[in-house]
Amino acid sequence: MAASKTSQGGGIIILSIVMAALLTLIPLPDTLRYYRPEFVGITLIYWTMAVPNRSGISFAWTIGLLMDVMLGGSLGLLAFSYALIVYFVLQFHLQIRQHPMWQQTLIVFSLILLIQTLFVFAELDNVGWRFCLPAITSMLLWPIIYRLLRSVRRTFHVR
Amino acid sequence: MNYFAPVRSTLSVVVYPIQTIASLPSDMGGWMSDFFQDRKALREKNTQLEAINLVNSIRLQTLQDLERENMRLRELLGSSFRLQERVKVAEVLSIDLDPFAQRLVIDKGSRYGVFVGQPVLDATGVMGQVVKVSQISSHVVLLTNPSHALPVQVNRNGVRAIVTGRGLGEPLQLEHVPHNADIREGDLLVTSGLGGRFPVGYPVGKVISVKLMQGQAFTDILIEPAAKLASSREVLLVQAVEPLDMNEPDIVEGDE
Repeated sequence: MAASKTSQGGGIIILSIVMAALLTLIPLPDTLRYYRPEFVGITLIYWTMAVPNRSGISFAWTIGLLMDVMLGGSLGLLAFSYALIVYFVLQFHLQIRQHPMWQQTLIVFSLILLIQTLFVFAELDNVGWRFCLPAITSMLLWPIIYRLLRSVRRTFHVR
Repeated sequence: MNYFAPVRSTLSVVVYPIQTIASLPSDMGGWMSDFFQDRKALREKNTQLEAINLVNSIRLQTLQDLERENMRLRELLGSSFRLQERVKVAEVLSIDLDPFAQRLVIDKGSRYGVFVGQPVLDATGVMGQVVKVSQISSHVVLLTNPSHALPVQVNRNGVRAIVTGRGLGEPLQLEHVPHNADIREGDLLVTSGLGGRFPVGYPVGKVISVKLMQGQAFTDILIEPAAKLASSREVLLVQAVEPLDMNEPDIVEGDE
């Protein structure tokens, strides 16, 4: 009983990540495809920051592995990237929560840029400057995602 | 090296429902436009298709004749037969993957006999090849992927070259073609079959520009892919089958 009181709403977290994965897959026109934000990444950042006891490195790793399979990339690349950014967020979640919104967006920018940089190093493709576009759009989307997921968290009492 | 292939194919089955759900909105768009077509448009389309079908079946008759003649002549020369091919139809899941690596997901997997390296075509030309297979789905890499190369020849004179991709929405290019090669604008490129993966003679693309660059060792040639890489909903998976037995009678359609 006590355990179910201290942590609840795990289903909501899974559901939000499934929604993020769907948004990652929904077809876009070719010109917009490079601008697609890293939806799963920012959702993981939010949940790790808000309820660190419900998320974690192994959770992020599992999600990343499934995303790798879904997108057909190198197996384990996103798993490692997500585990890494969730590690950073876990380390500093108390500070990040206190930061004003604009500083949070910069943190999100650098974390997503880290994912994209790892991708460029691992795939060794000549992708040019476009690899940083998802980091920029994720950064711009962060305030909206933050408010949305916060209201979800409060409505469903995710702890 | 391939220890993780079973892991990947098992996990592919797990994520397949999410991929299917993500493709639903655009599938529904297709269904809606199918459903609300008016009778007149359908009739017009039907008449058009019947006309095309008539022309095609006449061409097919002459083709069958030519194919047999070709094989007889090849037998006289003692050279090897061209294999016959069988095709399977698969549907493309309309989802976006990584924009830096041009890939597709199709709804047929190893259960239907799809294998890694299998050529993938659409109605108008070569699309790419299968790179990853699970039980119920497979990943296809498109010609436009920068790490994909395909041996081709010019249909007009048989000049051989290699086509590589240049990324999303870009034309293809011909690699290492010397300045004196006889390739012109408008030439049709077909697969040469030299790589051993693709069957011979399927259209790959059309030459849209030939630039002789000063001081460069090779000509800069751009190719427009023949296949509709961005909009094809159905693809054909090619499978080589046994060479045709010359002593067996022709299989005529509707004769079974």
